[in-house]
Parts: sequence; structure tokens; C-alpha cells
Amino acid sequence: MSVEQLQQQLLECFNGSPDSNVQAAAQTANQYTEMVKSGQLSREEYVQLLTDLQQTNIINKSVDNQQAMEYMNVAINGLINIASIVG
Amino acid sequence: MKKLLIAISLIALQGCTLIDAYLMTKYDPNEYQLITDIRSEARQFKAQCDDAVISKFNAGKIAYDTQLFVLYSEHIPRNENLIAASKALDVIAQGLAGQYKNDKVSPAFCKIKFDSIETSADKLQKVIGGRPR
Repeated sequence: MSVEQLQQQLLECFNGSPDSNVQAAAQTANQYTEMVKSGQLSREEYVQLLTDLQQTNIINKSVDNQQAMEYMNVAINGLINIASIVG
Repeated sequence: MKKLLIAISLIALQGCTLIDAYLMTKYDPNEYQLITDIRSEARQFKAQCDDAVISKFNAGKIAYDTQLFVLYSEHIPRNENLIAASKALDVIAQGLAGQYKNDKVSPAFCKIKFDSIETSADKLQKVIGGRPR
């Protein structure tokens, strides 16, 4: 499979996703592919950067989960404070 | 007593996620300092990528710091999200340091790696700083 075919498959795969993180990863992967084609990146570097996209995805999901927990924590404490004032 | 009843009813209503949120890990200034250092270094080191000798040293330094961040975070209770993220950040940094050990590294690769570390560290700094105090 050529780099161009791989690039096309990646774009189709990622652009079909409603997840904004996945769409951003698709754009980034496309940029890396252009850079390896123009000789700015070696093949080995290219593979490592594509692998890093998976790590970035883990970070993004962890951050989203953590932010959701923080919002919930604020809401719970807010409810408790309101209840204690009212009561 | 009223507070206790409200807390119990909220917990009964939503289950474990709510318990996790209520008991979530508090703000830790040491953890915040570590991730701030990583972000600051990545920002500075990115500008030095045209110098391969300095960048090799920089890559080793940031890999040391991301590993320190993993080791510091990994035994903090109820910290699963940050542990997973710190390990992923460490993989990115170790990859850069490893590349400098094995092969010639292009300035473009160096810049992308430090930029990726800086962006991720920025996100992590935001959630660590936003934890309840």
C-alpha cells in the first residue's frame, strides 16, 4: 500500500467520526504524511508521530473525564452549601 | 444531618460516578509544579530544535521529568485519569529521547514532539489546577 492510499484511508476513517478529537487527529496525520512526502520527516519519525496520536487520544480522554468529575464535584458541593444555608 | 441526608440521596441517585466525583483527588501543588515545569521546558526546548547537540540534552531532560511526573502521580488515590494521561505523556517524551539515542533527528520531528508535549502538558495543567482545594 502506498503512502497516498494510506493517507486516503486514514482521512476517510477519521473524517467519518463525530468526535472532534478524532477529526483533529486526522488532520494532524494528514500533515505528517505531507511532511514525510516532502522529506521533512524520516519514515521512522513518521511512524512514531502517528503512534503518538494514540497517546494524545489517551490524554484527551483522561482530561475530558477529569473535567467532568471536577464539574460534578463543584455541583455536589454547591448543592450541599445551598441545602445547609436553606436548612 | 441535613447535609448528610442530601449527600446520601445524591449518591443513591447517581451511584459510583458521583461518589468518585465527591471524593475526587484534591489539588496537589507538587503535581501542579511538575506539570508546569514540563510545559515550560517543552516551550523553551521547541525553540532550540535547530541545534541537535542541545536538543539531544533537552530531550533527555524532558524524558526525565515526564517519568518523574508518572512516578509522583501513580500512587495518589483516585487519580486514575491523571495516571493514564501522565503515562501517555511519558511515552511521547521517551520516544523523542530514544530517537536521539538511535538516529539522526530532523528539526521538524523535534519541534512536533516538543509541541505535542507542550499542548498535552497545558491540558493536564488545566485539570490539575482545577481540582478542588
